[in-house]
Amino acid sequence: MAYSQKVLDHYYNPRNVGALDKGSPDVGTGMVGAPECGDVMKLQVQVNRETGVIEDAKFKTFGCGSAIASSSLATEWLKGKTVDEALAIKNTDIVTELSLPPVKIHCSVLAEDAIKAAIADYKRKHEARQDAQAVEAR
Amino acid sequence: MRAHDPASTTFTCWHCTAEVTGSLFCPGCKAIQAPVRDYYRFFGLERKLSLDTGDLQHRFYELSRQLHPDRFQRRSPQEQQCSLEASSVLNDGYRVLRNPIERAEYVLKQEGFDIGEQRGKDVPPELLEEVFELNMVLEEMRGGEESARPQLEQARTRFQDMRREIDDQLGELFRNYDESRDRAVLARIRGVLNRRRYIGNLLRDVEKELEPAASLPGRDG
Repeated sequence: MAYSQKVLDHYYNPRNVGALDKGSPDVGTGMVGAPECGDVMKLQVQVNRETGVIEDAKFKTFGCGSAIASSSLATEWLKGKTVDEALAIKNTDIVTELSLPPVKIHCSVLAEDAIKAAIADYKRKHEARQDAQAVEAR
Repeated sequence: MRAHDPASTTFTCWHCTAEVTGSLFCPGCKAIQAPVRDYYRFFGLERKLSLDTGDLQHRFYELSRQLHPDRFQRRSPQEQQCSLEASSVLNDGYRVLRNPIERAEYVLKQEGFDIGEQRGKDVPPELLEEVFELNMVLEEMRGGEESARPQLEQARTRFQDMRREIDDQLGELFRNYDESRDRAVLARIRGVLNRRRYIGNLLRDVEKELEPAASLPGRDG
């Protein structure tokens, strides 16, 4: 399996590896997996609740080099984007950036799924909080 | 050469146009036929997830003898071609059916539960959490220090036990499906096979850790 330079770069110097506080109301967590290859990917975003901008993003992936690189790249791209801009990231963007071969496209799909799952989790928390505030305000 | 319609069990012999019902040789003229692609039908077996592998092996040897291309060397090109194709289905089918995991994957695929078509959302979150945590533990134990060895060996035993439990569970689900033909059971088997694959990967990673060797970037996922 020949990896592209960009994949190797992200593999050896992964950006934003780590974890954010899962319990924080401003953090969304996405955990996805691909059973056919046994990969597991956790991706987290920390969102500014006033502006809706993603201020921090972390990931931890157990999988092949392409899965690690895809999630590393995703966290780089997420920072500074609004939640809605983040949802526009497509797996094909990741494929192009990393020059992933066809057999590794599922790794980029996994990263896109992880972004969507993390943001869905954040939105769920955010809406629950707004509901709670609305109740309090009454 | 006319291909078989996999849905029909009856077709016409290419040689004498007699009706052939799912057998490898025409009952009329004894000419070899193009093979059915369905492994169960090829071996003349009922579609069951639990198989007697001794019986399967017996059928494999018997069919190998009957279909071997050497036996058709002096026959027509059509017969030679049939024998080649049948031998290829024979070998592929034997490889798949004798292994319970591959056999189950084969049946699941035919029934529309293909592993390749799943997305992350089909994997239960508890399983992902579990696998993630197990991977974290494994990673902490790494680092090439010899002191982590007993812990890794413990992890190996643990994963082996988990896989054994999964295999027992599968055996039970296989029997259950064979009796009930319930698609809900197939869905459960899909889930258990996913878990087995994750555990299998963890086990492979521990074993790689226990035998010192240069590692390539990540896993060959």
